[in-house]
Amino acid sequence: MILNLERFRAQAQPRWKDLESLLSALESRPDRRLDSAEAEQLQQLYAQASADLNRVTHGALAPDLRQYLERLVARAYAELHYTPPTRSQLWQPRRWLRIFTAFPESFRRQSRYFAMAALVTISGCTLGALAVRYDPASVDVLLPANYLRNPGERVHEEEQGQARHSNSAQIEAEFSAQLIRHNIQVALLAAALGVTFGVGTALLLFENGVLLGAVAVRYTQQGFGLFMSAWLLPHGVFEIPSILIAGQAGFYLARLLLHRREDRNVRDSMREWLILVAGLAMMLVWAGFMEAFFSQHHAPVLPYGFKVGVGLAELVLLTLYLLLIGRTESARVTRSGLATENG
Amino acid sequence: MTITQSTRAATTSELTIATSEGVLFRLPLAGPAPRLYAMLLDIVIVLGTVNGIGLLVYWVFAKAPGFGVMVITLAEFAIGFAYSALLEGYWNGQTIGKRLFHLRVIDQDGLPLRIEQAWVRNLMRVFDALPFAYLVGGISVLSSPLMQRFGDRVAGTLVTRQTPLSLPDEEFWARQKYNSFTEYPTIAMQLRRAATPELAALIQDALRRRNELATYARREIYRELAAYLQSEICPFPDELIERLSDEQYLMNASSILFADRGAIASSKLAI
Repeated sequence: MILNLERFRAQAQPRWKDLESLLSALESRPDRRLDSAEAEQLQQLYAQASADLNRVTHGALAPDLRQYLERLVARAYAELHYTPPTRSQLWQPRRWLRIFTAFPESFRRQSRYFAMAALVTISGCTLGALAVRYDPASVDVLLPANYLRNPGERVHEEEQGQARHSNSAQIEAEFSAQLIRHNIQVALLAAALGVTFGVGTALLLFENGVLLGAVAVRYTQQGFGLFMSAWLLPHGVFEIPSILIAGQAGFYLARLLLHRREDRNVRDSMREWLILVAGLAMMLVWAGFMEAFFSQHHAPVLPYGFKVGVGLAELVLLTLYLLLIGRTESARVTRSGLATENG
Repeated sequence: MTITQSTRAATTSELTIATSEGVLFRLPLAGPAPRLYAMLLDIVIVLGTVNGIGLLVYWVFAKAPGFGVMVITLAEFAIGFAYSALLEGYWNGQTIGKRLFHLRVIDQDGLPLRIEQAWVRNLMRVFDALPFAYLVGGISVLSSPLMQRFGDRVAGTLVTRQTPLSLPDEEFWARQKYNSFTEYPTIAMQLRRAATPELAALIQDALRRRNELATYARREIYRELAAYLQSEICPFPDELIERLSDEQYLMNASSILFADRGAIASSKLAI
């Protein structure tokens, strides 16, 4: 049936105009809240515009009019079904500080993916360590950089180079920023590679593990175990776990994508991924500062024992943070939730 | 309002949303080219901002240039991600570049995107940018029915073209009023008899997608269709044809094809 557009327009145009002005009034309001009369009006005008759109779609060949109505209906649809956060909510510091408790909570909720990431890294470590231990020829392949291959030279250089480091906070500051940037990029890539259904994440973690295992064995073999621990621990206790958490986020993402059909609310679950990424970024900022300003100082300026001690203390604190923070709070939330339910 | 059960379907250039109220509406999707331009513009803006901040930082840290470099490196890195994520999250899914190129990021159910989605799709850039020049993201856009890069797929978002909301002008209404083909009922009936359903659907489709076709393509397609109809199916007299554009010709033909049989017969001079 062909619609009589002339008559149709005379009837319907006033209500389209009403809807248009209601929508633009609403969109210009900072809080986007409707009072009940307006909400009712919006719902009614939306229903009418929808019906008009249906009539135009099926009863007339009027692409311009149809497009206009589609845009109108789309805008009203969005306004009815979604309320964006208001500006006042955005600037509440408490909302932003919640990340410090949300991060360990998410970490614990998804701990099995952390275990997976750790497992992949450890198997890489084992391979690297065994290769260097039993096949000296593999060193050239596994450790391309000269300073990794010849620890003696490196240790000598580092210990001689104290003068260079002691007075150059400037260079260290620059170095820290580069480290932070590079590490976050790598970690983010590991977390994003979850879209390859975790294969990319696993490869990246495995490679990282091989390198770690190979370096550890190489330095220990040549008698620089203590130097290495003192060199790596102060920042490594944050850096390595954060890469593992990146792997955790990657595997979590992979699992989300694999089960997309079952779970319609994937987008809500993405929050968890974001929190993990935000948390590991904070860890890497700390690790970057430690690596540049602390790890690069060696004996005799800083005794190795002291550096190892600092590293271990950091590890304990990090573990406590990841395992304990947020526990009491979530318990309290559950309790108060129950109380309101009972009340 | 409770959660809507809406379904979606997509062709190469649009997303169709079916709402729970039983209404269908289409949202035109943005192709890779305007998205690339918008991104380049955004990169220029970010670099400009970072350099502006850089001048200030060098001035503040004049005595300690190393710290200055640290601040700038970190600021550049943070702004690179936060610029798009915050703007898209809090400014109706648009960065400055997207606004100028009339693009908008939305949730794939037709709703505005949430701040978490904006962050996810922008953090996923590290993957889409692999191995260089957004190759992975580009291939993903071209191979996806919803033109999504991987960041969009993960975040459940898509980039739409933002067409202006304006009621059709008076010329449009005037064109709808009167169909000159009904003056020639014999030829009009001939058109209805001879046109196959495929041809009718083709004409309707060409008209329906009017605003999605580039001007030259539209002109060419309409010219060919009208010439074919005129020469093979329904030879309307020349004095009528001269007054009509190809588009008007097709609109008239289409309304003849899809009208009630009675409408033509009774409109004028029964045969």
